[in-house]
Amino acid sequence: MATITYIESNGAAHEVEAKNGWSIMENAVKNSVPGIVAECGGSQTCGTCRIYVSEEWQAKMPSATPDELAIIEFAEDETPGARLSCQVVMTDALDGLVVHMPDKQYSM
Amino acid sequence: MSEIKSFEDVDFFSDPSLTNDPVPYYEHLRSKGPVTRMPHRGVVAVTGYDEALAIFRNEERFSSYNAAYGPNPLPFEPSGEDITEQIAQNRGDWSIFNMISTFDPPDHTRLRLLLKGLLTPKRLLENEQFMWKLADGLIDEFIGSGGVEFVNDFSGPFATLVVADLLGVPEEDHKKFRRIFTESGMRLGSIDGVPPQAENPLTKITGYFYEYIEDRRKNPRKDVMTDLALTKYADGSLATVDDIVNLSAFLFAAGQETTVRVMAAMLVFLCEDPELQKRLRADRSLIPNFVEETLRMEGTVKTGYRLAKVRANVGDIEVEPGTPVMLMISAMNRDPSKFENPNEFQPDRKNAREHLAFGRGIHACIGAPLARAELKVAVERMFDRTSDIRFDERFHGTADNRKLDYMPSYMARGLSDLHLVFDAKA
Repeated sequence: MATITYIESNGAAHEVEAKNGWSIMENAVKNSVPGIVAECGGSQTCGTCRIYVSEEWQAKMPSATPDELAIIEFAEDETPGARLSCQVVMTDALDGLVVHMPDKQYSM
Repeated sequence: MSEIKSFEDVDFFSDPSLTNDPVPYYEHLRSKGPVTRMPHRGVVAVTGYDEALAIFRNEERFSSYNAAYGPNPLPFEPSGEDITEQIAQNRGDWSIFNMISTFDPPDHTRLRLLLKGLLTPKRLLENEQFMWKLADGLIDEFIGSGGVEFVNDFSGPFATLVVADLLGVPEEDHKKFRRIFTESGMRLGSIDGVPPQAENPLTKITGYFYEYIEDRRKNPRKDVMTDLALTKYADGSLATVDDIVNLSAFLFAAGQETTVRVMAAMLVFLCEDPELQKRLRADRSLIPNFVEETLRMEGTVKTGYRLAKVRANVGDIEVEPGTPVMLMISAMNRDPSKFENPNEFQPDRKNAREHLAFGRGIHACIGAPLARAELKVAVERMFDRTSDIRFDERFHGTADNRKLDYMPSYMARGLSDLHLVFDAKA
């Protein structure tokens, strides 16, 4: 079974058994991982499911579309490797993925 | 609510005594636990924040079939351990079972992706520019009279025309759209029962949209409506005219009452607390959190619905397939384990934005960013054009005897009307 590890800003790690075909966001919220709000449920409108992904893992994912980048910019998050976890779908290639999460998903 | 009648005997879905102040009833239900079986209609009610989140995020076990239909008797008799197939076979062509908010995956997923394409960051930014102009134009209509019935003369047409602009309805048709919604409302969740399909304003809206979309497909031009007409599914194929028209009409419905009533609620808070009004006027950066706290306390969608497809747990209660689950959004937004002193309006509340006024999960309101922009623009423009806004006491009484009437609905919370007076700025 593939796994994803979500790491909170305080260092707490949450490893989940990941389901292929679900986004990284869905794999988090359906396993009650704290730190991913996903206010809009994966419609790429709210920017509250941000994760930070290393270059090594980014290379195994499709890159962000201009719309995704616009939402990250709107969330005023300039952390390198920022992605919307709702826009990255889990695949075999991502088995063992480790992502970090911001200390808060809301900018206000 | 009469003191003689006990809450145990009250039918939340038809009792008019609960619509003006439903909060004591929420607290009554909460006292029985975060999830409780209601005495009427076999409904299981969720008032707890965490318990609700779990249901919002569990479309595998809970269908949205009854999202708009509420607790009314199902048009079929649930049988067996999995009613997914029965649900699919009992939608008919009744719009109350055929809106995107009522669909389950994979139909929901296909339409949601289409909808996402209509609400791009770029389109939303352009739309916000329109909002400022629109607000000014509507205020021009009443600024000279020193007063306004805010619901019908500002927030109603404002909400209609914002969606009209978003979808690229030509400006010369805006008046027609304004009239459609002035003449009849949606009346979802009416305590008088399910409103007849013929009174649904969406029928007229879809008529216009069939014309627009077919015209733009034949004669494409450089406008938003042409972009809409040429919208594609996620797989790159051209969307059907039916899907585009139905989603467009749905956006009008979803963006109407909801925005209108919260907008009025903001004005109520500002009139009730002149000091707050002064503070927000002096520091506009406080407005976004004020908007969130208004959504938490007075979000329009009081209750949402799901139908258990299979045997499932709602909190600690096991429910049978076919059980209607009521997600009491206004109650979970006042869950004391999530929000400290939940019945106090605190415009600077730190976690105000964690409210569930827009729902969560795959059916979360896709128009939330639109609504937030509308609410902000409305307050800011009203502030720009007036120096002091107050209740019109001829309609709403004095502070010690305030009269505010709310819509007779178990689904929607909102003022029937709001008469304001103000000092216009020169």
